[in-house]
Amino acid sequence: MIEVKGLSKKFDQIQALQQVSTQIQKGSIFGLIGSNGAGKSTFLRLLAGIYRPDSGEIFIDGQPVYENEALKQKIFYISDDQFYFPNSNMEEMARYYATIYQQFSFDKFEKLTQLFRLDKKRKLNTFSKGMQKQAHIILALSCQPDYLLCDETFDGLDPVMRQAVKRLLAEAVLDQQLTPVIASHNLRELEDICDHIGLLHQGGVIFERELDHLQSNIHKVQCAFTAPKQRQDFADLDIVTMEQQGNLSILVVRGDSQRTEACMKAMQPLYYELLPLTLEEIFITEMEVLGYDIQQLIY
Amino acid sequence: MILIDYKSRKPIYEQIIDNVKELIVSGVLERDEQLPSVRQLAQELAINPNTIQKAYAELERQGVIYSLKGRGSFVGSSLNELRSVQQAALLEEVAQLSGVLCQLAVEQETVCAVVREAYQTQREAKNHD
Repeated sequence: MIEVKGLSKKFDQIQALQQVSTQIQKGSIFGLIGSNGAGKSTFLRLLAGIYRPDSGEIFIDGQPVYENEALKQKIFYISDDQFYFPNSNMEEMARYYATIYQQFSFDKFEKLTQLFRLDKKRKLNTFSKGMQKQAHIILALSCQPDYLLCDETFDGLDPVMRQAVKRLLAEAVLDQQLTPVIASHNLRELEDICDHIGLLHQGGVIFERELDHLQSNIHKVQCAFTAPKQRQDFADLDIVTMEQQGNLSILVVRGDSQRTEACMKAMQPLYYELLPLTLEEIFITEMEVLGYDIQQLIY
Repeated sequence: MILIDYKSRKPIYEQIIDNVKELIVSGVLERDEQLPSVRQLAQELAINPNTIQKAYAELERQGVIYSLKGRGSFVGSSLNELRSVQQAALLEEVAQLSGVLCQLAVEQETVCAVVREAYQTQREAKNHD
């Protein structure tokens, strides 16, 4: 389990993270989302023990991670710009990682390079960007870590490879209780693979919740009445945002579907429809509430 | 066997639950038949095994399926219950559509005639099989 308590990190004048507290359960797949510059990468580097926290604590399996060599055996961090030695190939990188990660499995490495059809003797600097990402995913899984920190790792993979990587992650979660933490802007994809989602904004955690819980507790309601309605007419509903187009009202409402549906029925609309929100819509709605919306960006 | 619509707004967790129920009601899955394992599904659909586990747990809680330790999940005996729930939901839909048709000033007799005819055609097709 990863436990983060009151974590803060500052770079000169820039407060990258402020008082972040969260928990990531073992064996779950955690999606980290947030606006640009929200602190996602900083957060991952802190989890990997690369940065020293200014204040606050990070416990992984009950131990602090910074400068903890034994614990770092269990963590693999796939950075956004992957590192490899100049002129090295995958095989050489595998041998290097094997000196660091004691559980490194050459069997797995062989199997995965064949599966991905990568030439392990070809120099990594002749690989395309997507292939370099594949190579690092292979190296990471061969190290057999307990925690896999991915910084926009899926972005840049082709659709077939993404599907393959998702399958590999699912397998590792089942077999080794792997805990992937995935930072990405591809919310559509996180929706398929994650069970928990954390939203970062301006260095703070806005929420951290189970994805199903998140999705079943917020809905878009489209409804029409004989006369236009005002926000206060929907007093029984917990309204996040409301839009009015003539007689048609479009609301984003918190609460489970049964309650929302009952409230809507009681108001006797001409017509109403309840739609679950996609993760992308939840993201945009929550950001709007925080004053980070497209309207402001356009004007 | 279970299909996920990745474009649907419906959470995957709910899609799995509804999908299994539909398969049981339509007779594709028979009583005591084994469901695909969590591993199989996770591999096939490239989705989170925890989500599948949760969906199965919910199906078990509702009595739709049961699990045997170390052997997997199987279809339970709640077919009649599932049928009646689905019947109620579909009848509700018919009622709502009738309401809309009424607003559009379609005669009651016309609506009934359409329903009667569709029902009859379906029954004849079934008798043919």
